[in-house]
Amino acid sequence: MNESARPFYWAFISLCGIVIAVYVLFPIFWLFLASFKTAEELAQLPIGFWPQEATLQAYRDLFDSGSQSSQLLNWPTLISNSFIIAVTSTIIVVILGTLAGYAFARLKFPGRDLILGGLLVSRMFQGAALLLPTYRLMNSLGLQDSLLGLILLYSAFGLPFATWIIASSLREIPVELEESAMMDGASRLQAMVMVVLPLATPALITAAMWHFVGAWSEFAFASILLESSANKTVTIGLASFVELFTLEFQKVGAAATLVAMPIMVVFFFGQRYFTRGLLAGAVKG
Amino acid sequence: MNTSSDRWLAYFMILPVVAAVLAFVIGPTWDVATLSLTQVVMGQERGFGTLNNFRALAADPMFALVLKNTAIWILGGTILCVMTGLAVGTFLAIDSKMTTGLRALILLPWVLPDVVTAMAWKWMLHGQVGVIGSTLQSAGLTEQQISFLGDPDLVMWTLVVVLIWRKMPLVALILCAAIRSVPNEQIEASRMDGANAFERFRFVVIPNIAFSLTAVTVISMIWITAEFALPWIMTGGGPANTSQIMSTYIYQQSFEFFSWGVASAMSVVNLVMLMVIVALYLYVNRKSWATGAAS
Repeated sequence: MNESARPFYWAFISLCGIVIAVYVLFPIFWLFLASFKTAEELAQLPIGFWPQEATLQAYRDLFDSGSQSSQLLNWPTLISNSFIIAVTSTIIVVILGTLAGYAFARLKFPGRDLILGGLLVSRMFQGAALLLPTYRLMNSLGLQDSLLGLILLYSAFGLPFATWIIASSLREIPVELEESAMMDGASRLQAMVMVVLPLATPALITAAMWHFVGAWSEFAFASILLESSANKTVTIGLASFVELFTLEFQKVGAAATLVAMPIMVVFFFGQRYFTRGLLAGAVKG
Repeated sequence: MNTSSDRWLAYFMILPVVAAVLAFVIGPTWDVATLSLTQVVMGQERGFGTLNNFRALAADPMFALVLKNTAIWILGGTILCVMTGLAVGTFLAIDSKMTTGLRALILLPWVLPDVVTAMAWKWMLHGQVGVIGSTLQSAGLTEQQISFLGDPDLVMWTLVVVLIWRKMPLVALILCAAIRSVPNEQIEASRMDGANAFERFRFVVIPNIAFSLTAVTVISMIWITAEFALPWIMTGGGPANTSQIMSTYIYQQSFEFFSWGVASAMSVVNLVMLMVIVALYLYVNRKSWATGAAS
């Protein structure tokens, strides 16, 4: 880089950076701001940026059982349902994914690479084409409209990726560590739990975070399987707010902020693990 | 180490994962394939071995429109996603405090629930009080406020723009990582040879990241094909079905019209399309699978 070009170069970098940052943040921030405005203000033109008089009324309305918006959907129930589903399926996925990941990374058995490849490829088919047959399957199992059904479904959908992330991280842990523990009389299970897993903790956190975010955010399958309002999740609750557009958008903003909050927390505190999982495995589907 | 007991231990350990995928992915795939060849009347199965569902699907006047919209969604989405992702990724690969911060921040759209993204953009694109339309109008760029999601000619491409906001960050980060791993000596050598910035990019960086670029293109196609909530919540396929794509059509036929025959036929079309893309993916990635298996 020519020295005289430096200031221009720096200005160019800064300008591009600001444009990208605004592009990424504006839609989120705009929604967040709307949740503090009043219905009257949201209907006004020209549109103002900051709330004229910031209010938490929209959030109060969401949780106030007497108000209109919470008659059909009870937000505390939605939030607790989503947490139950996301946390339980995350625990299942991490435990079963660790078992399978260990087998794929450490044990030799016929068909190992083929099965792992097959699991990864199966992820790519988890889309709209499975909506109808999943609905039929859950009905025949009697698991429609139940949190248990979604927990099983999300665990099944999330397991291949968790297995893969954990297996690829276990491969990087020297096998000698376990072998020497086993020489000293530890069983394979003991060696796995006491020696290998503590070293694989970052991978377990990565797998858990990815799964939690996916399970918390899932909409399509939840919307076809859950019927009673006592069983619905936050994404269904937010989607049903489409009817509030124009008239009471501040409530949509408040609900969206609540739905996004746990994800933002996971994202900002677990940044390191997130990017790690991403660069390690996202390209595998 | 006892290899035969290892083998049984291994099968035992992978059993839950394999069983889960068989039950919730392979099983349903088989079910929808057989359903598509079954006469279904009002949810009742009346005889296997018919192509009537596919005939009904092809006869649906919506079919051609859905295919056209899906092509815009997948091809337009993928191409624009990779192009903007390459541009942003190239920028993020520059060493500076700002780009380091941005590399962390940029994933935010990617991790947010798609229902939240749909609400945020639907609001910004609103026909009367949307900030985008209103800004364009007050800047004198449009006479009237554009209703991006209400205009049949604009709606599909508007959805693609939102899709890019959501999916581009990951493409950018993957390409950024690929660009940053290009050997510095090669770039320096071409600089010595008098190559300008564009030539260095075209003849040194691009060949070095060609593999990542192809892989990320195919994987974007798979992500975009799977995306359902974003278009469904933003438009529900409207106005007048002009933004109906395969995934929203399957949902609508299955759970609003209860035409399971047509829905299962479209699901099979969707699965076949996915298989083609996945085959392409496996072909592109054959090198990485081989090394993955060796390690």
